[in-house]
Amino acid sequence: MTNQTLQQYGTLSVGDELPELRQRVDQNMIDAYADASGDVNPLHIDPEFAKTTMFGQTIAHGLLTLAFVSRVLSKWNWQGWAYGGELNIIFLGPVYPGDEVRVSGYVDLIEERDNDIYARCQLICHCGDREVVKGEATCKILIEKLQIK
Amino acid sequence: MNDYVAYKSLVEGDEFLDLPPVFEVTQEKVDKYIHATGDKTVQLMEQDEAGRQLAPPMLAAVYVIEALRTRAGPPGGIHAKQNFKFYRPAIVGETLYTTAKILRLYIKRERPYVEMLTETKNQAGELVTTGMITRIWGKGE
Repeated sequence: MTNQTLQQYGTLSVGDELPELRQRVDQNMIDAYADASGDVNPLHIDPEFAKTTMFGQTIAHGLLTLAFVSRVLSKWNWQGWAYGGELNIIFLGPVYPGDEVRVSGYVDLIEERDNDIYARCQLICHCGDREVVKGEATCKILIEKLQIK
Repeated sequence: MNDYVAYKSLVEGDEFLDLPPVFEVTQEKVDKYIHATGDKTVQLMEQDEAGRQLAPPMLAAVYVIEALRTRAGPPGGIHAKQNFKFYRPAIVGETLYTTAKILRLYIKRERPYVEMLTETKNQAGELVTTGMITRIWGKGE
């Protein structure tokens, strides 16, 4: 079975940007995520313990940052993301209380395979100039349900 | 609770089947997660066409991490990489079972890394999510 790459499919083109998200993270949000997720690693919620680590202060759960990435993909392409979406990311640096996380991304590949169209998106999360998360997501494209930026 | 697992006791190929962790997808858990993550996705605010209340795909982060709690490392460990494949969103009212397996153990820049594969199905055996998590293990015995 062969895969065919496309530069464009319907109104979607390689290079299209995903809707950007900016989210301020504070200790209250980190605590709420710890409560919701049950991940009470003291690195996230105990400032005294966190001082003894290489970070010197509490940091947000990496998976909280991924929740922001998922919000972007859900807004852009809920159907394709929630039903068959795949995410591969690397955590590059910590998110500290007070940071604003900026999630951005763009379509870098459109591919036809198995009679379906898939888009691969390059994603990056910044806190100021720092890259904190980087990776890619692939999801099926249902062109009529896309929210173009 | 201090029953952390030391890195040296981990074994490649080890499957966490001793006590398959159960995760009940309740409205309360979903609401808490949505609130904590600021998720305002329209499809999560109302029932779908089949009258079901869906959870955010990334709720996987909660039920998978909970499943891995039986193999938690000492405090200070951090998340290095994550892969998720979402077959469908979790649905309020269903019960999820996550199995996991240690795929690879390795040292990089003097830090101990653990790669684990996870698979989550519901009570009917329907596949919901698969994933691979890479953690830098916390220090300590």
